[in-house]
Amino acid sequence: MTKVTLETAGSVWKILVNVGDFVDVGTTMFVLEVMKMEVPYEAVKKGEVVAIHIKEGDIVEEDQIAVEIKEDES
Amino acid sequence: MSWEKEIREIEKRKRLALLQGGESATEKQHLKGRLTVRERIAQLVDPDSFEEIGLSAGSASRDASGELTNFEPANFIVGFGKVDGRRIVIGGEDFTMKGGSPSAAGLRKSIYAEDLALQAKVPLVRLHEGAGGSVGGSSGKPTSLPDPVYAPPRFQSVAKAMATIPVATAALGSVAGLPAGRLVASHFSVMSKATAQILTAGPAVVARAMGEQKSKEELGGWRVHTKNGTVDNGADDEIACLTEIKRFLSFMPDNIYELAPRLNCEDPVDRKDQTLASIVPRDRRKSFDMRLVINSIMDRTSFFEIGNGYGRSQITGLARLNGQPVGVWANNCKFLAGSMTADGANKARRFMELCELFRLPIIALVDEPGFMIGSQAEKEATIRHGTAAVLTAAMTTVPWASVMIRRSFGVAQAAHYGPGGFVLAWPSAESGPLPVEGGVAVAFQKDIAAAPDPDARRRELEMEFAARQSPFPRSEAFSVHDLINPAETRFELCRWVERVVPLLPALLGSAQFYIRP
Repeated sequence: MTKVTLETAGSVWKILVNVGDFVDVGTTMFVLEVMKMEVPYEAVKKGEVVAIHIKEGDIVEEDQIAVEIKEDES
Repeated sequence: MSWEKEIREIEKRKRLALLQGGESATEKQHLKGRLTVRERIAQLVDPDSFEEIGLSAGSASRDASGELTNFEPANFIVGFGKVDGRRIVIGGEDFTMKGGSPSAAGLRKSIYAEDLALQAKVPLVRLHEGAGGSVGGSSGKPTSLPDPVYAPPRFQSVAKAMATIPVATAALGSVAGLPAGRLVASHFSVMSKATAQILTAGPAVVARAMGEQKSKEELGGWRVHTKNGTVDNGADDEIACLTEIKRFLSFMPDNIYELAPRLNCEDPVDRKDQTLASIVPRDRRKSFDMRLVINSIMDRTSFFEIGNGYGRSQITGLARLNGQPVGVWANNCKFLAGSMTADGANKARRFMELCELFRLPIIALVDEPGFMIGSQAEKEATIRHGTAAVLTAAMTTVPWASVMIRRSFGVAQAAHYGPGGFVLAWPSAESGPLPVEGGVAVAFQKDIAAAPDPDARRRELEMEFAARQSPFPRSEAFSVHDLINPAETRFELCRWVERVVPLLPALLGSAQFYIRP
């Protein structure tokens, strides 16, 4: 299981995946807005999105867990 | 009657000294995945270049007949060596003896490392693994007298070294107390992710004093100390740390009275990278990778980043332009929009000081939205740390070239321009007191609220102000030296380097830093 944590505080602008989606390395999963700029978060591992802990418009903190991915071993 | 007996004893002492803590202690060190200090030194310096100082310091034991039975060397090893043919002083604690906690002679040799390097005016490298003193005294029993009251302060030479010669350090195992203090008293420090922890005090003392139960790694592992700036860099293992130290030294002069060596450059100065023309997105909400810009402009593969784990909105490092060592400072818009945070400002200030001390021209690639804002930023005293960075830039004497890549706003932007600097602007440059996003919404609050479509009115105003922040009027007003095609940045900066390198010799000597906020 990979927990994607936030590198900075900000607000959640867009979420581009749903629970159950499969993501590839490089897939943009969600976009934060930080200091009026978009900060895309891309998957660094291939796998299935099993949990999303943020929703659009949320004010989020550094180190908060945003998404959990069950890695695809194949 | 010759001195044969004594000569034999000298030889025997040296043989014993080289055994360090003995075979089993060495084996134990290896089993934990760590090298001994002698192996570390051998890895760093050129083959056969190590000239040890003070191998005979230590304590000897004799039997009843006066025959030498054992010799325990001082547990700090120091000497001269060469790195890429250039002389340095190198030293480190010997963890195989007393866990690196200084023996009486070991402490003397350890303190002497700075004196030696200062005398020889060559860079100092310290490879740390060890603890400071303990309540029981350095040898566990009360032996020698403490230092006299008139002894010079122990840290005076450490401070002088920092002002005179390049100092590079590595944490290669657990480093606590005095060695931890000396680790950070350096211009460049790196820790081994695999084997090092840095601790003001270890878990036992912390548990006793604070009631906090933490492992060494939790207290002072790389995840903690590369993020808070205690060390500049983290490297995978010991060998990788030594490679980083070599790399750092390659950009450094021997001391403040000499200039950093210039290398031959095979990368053409007129190499034009057309991808730079489109790297900055037109949409101001979109970010770009500033490290790609740095690597494209500098001599191929020359960029050596310092401190990429902390103050991450700022990127600092050393690189070359047509073989000339330069300092590079850029904003990273992918992290907090590249804004000047408290730790980013500290990182930038230290970096400017490094460049000023060793007379490295500074290249600033500017994409500065301003000081970081919000309650967290206020708690961190961002304005004080940020202003210190601004004033540091204002007091430098080294040549600066600043390239306005994108944003250049607020008080914070002033930190990116040195006195008499050469200023170039890309077509994507914008500058002013405040970025239009946010700024317009606040200044024209009433106007926007009264409009039939407030969002449309805001966007309209933002576009109007964005046009005023364009680099074209700035270049017409001669507020920048030139407006350039991004692909020509390398060529422009390489030409500038040739103009400023002849000015560097006149700057040599002590650097002056005034009091800062």
